[in-house]
Amino acid sequence: MASSQASLGKTLLWGGIAATLYGFLFYFSDDFLRLAHTTQDACLVQSGMNINYFNKATPELCAEQGGTLIHGTWWYVLAPIAMAFALSYTHGIFTGLFWDLLGLKARK
Amino acid sequence: MEHMALINFIDISLGGAITLILVGFVGGLVSGFIGSGGAFVLTPAMMALGAPGMIAVATNSCHKFPKAIVGVFKRHKYGQVDVKLGLVMAVFAEAGVLFGKHMMTSVRNSYGAVGTDLYVSAIFIVTMAVVGSFMLKDYRKLKAMGDDAQKTQDITWIARWVQSIRIPGTMFYSRGVQAEISFLFVIPLGFATGFLSSAIAVGGLIGVPGMIYVLGVPAIMASATEMVIAVATGLGATFLYGLEGAVDIRMAMLILLGSLFGIQIGAIGTTYVKDYQIKFTMAVIMLTVLFSRIFYIPGYLNSVGMIEPLPAGTLQVLKWIGDGVMYLALFLGAYTVFSALFKGMKKHRESKSGSAGETAAD
Repeated sequence: MASSQASLGKTLLWGGIAATLYGFLFYFSDDFLRLAHTTQDACLVQSGMNINYFNKATPELCAEQGGTLIHGTWWYVLAPIAMAFALSYTHGIFTGLFWDLLGLKARK
Repeated sequence: MEHMALINFIDISLGGAITLILVGFVGGLVSGFIGSGGAFVLTPAMMALGAPGMIAVATNSCHKFPKAIVGVFKRHKYGQVDVKLGLVMAVFAEAGVLFGKHMMTSVRNSYGAVGTDLYVSAIFIVTMAVVGSFMLKDYRKLKAMGDDAQKTQDITWIARWVQSIRIPGTMFYSRGVQAEISFLFVIPLGFATGFLSSAIAVGGLIGVPGMIYVLGVPAIMASATEMVIAVATGLGATFLYGLEGAVDIRMAMLILLGSLFGIQIGAIGTTYVKDYQIKFTMAVIMLTVLFSRIFYIPGYLNSVGMIEPLPAGTLQVLKWIGDGVMYLALFLGAYTVFSALFKGMKKHRESKSGSAGETAAD
């Protein structure tokens, strides 16, 4: 009983960490997308309520459309990679514990 | 904006998020069951949901490489990974990834996002047709051999020839092959694996059979060693496509959310079935997904202006059929894994209770 309570606690803990990371990703999803869009040089054009990003942008082409040119920052690429590592690790541990808890096991 | 290109990520509503999680779940089931990355279901599924080909491939690469890292460590513990062969292949696979990414961006620069849809679909259809047909052939052979198939796995004449060739200065010892082989034979295999990885996010379909049939690596070691290559190609493709701003991390992580739940059920399912049933499942899913892709091609050709414009109604109907066949493939995948799992568990319980009864009677 004690061991099953301990594994329930561990499952909930890892589930909580994974859920928090998912919450973080989706709370800041616009920022993550902005990072992706501006890894390369991009032209930001406001269109009503929406912001459109264009690539293959040059200062002239962007100015023609009344947009703002944003110079790309290559290391923004590390954001999705770090997120993928963190979520894969925590959610992977959680799902493993979850199925163990439910008693789903491979045939011996 | 003739010269600038709009960067498109799909809008993800609550319904869309749930669909992505479910698609990921089925992809995970299939991937655990057949021991591959499952991207051969996920890439077309993402495209069916509206992601351009390049984004689907980039996003898939991002979702699979952390899973492959976990896989490498797990299977290394069981001694199934030929690290040296994996690393040698990974070097050449990385060259393939670079080439594949260059091809993809060239297509996008010339024909836009829809050009990448067409490019990914075309490579996908050809690869699935070839690999799916081989799988079916293998399935028939293994089924005919019955239980003997599990015991003996002779190496092919090509592998025997490759192992017999000695080219000074190029030889290295492969634990999987249990002999020295020349890395020159590894170059095309690695390159093709990397290229496919960055073209359709499915590299293992070439890498694994390549190691088995061309080099003579046992199947179980080949699939474990391929994970080393998948880490390199997945990470490489994520980085290179990420530099192009093509990785949709939301979509990748929603797919991952479902897929990590599914992968363990799929992996457990394999312990209850025979090898040939796995091959059959793989072939059926591949060929169904391939079939679904065919219905999208006219729409893509229409968008890039390669054919006479088609009526909007026709395009819509074709897309519906394509989506329908795609979902059928996902359903077939889920059904096969679950039915194998439940049937196997039932049989296992019956045989256990039978032997317990016999022991009690003694």
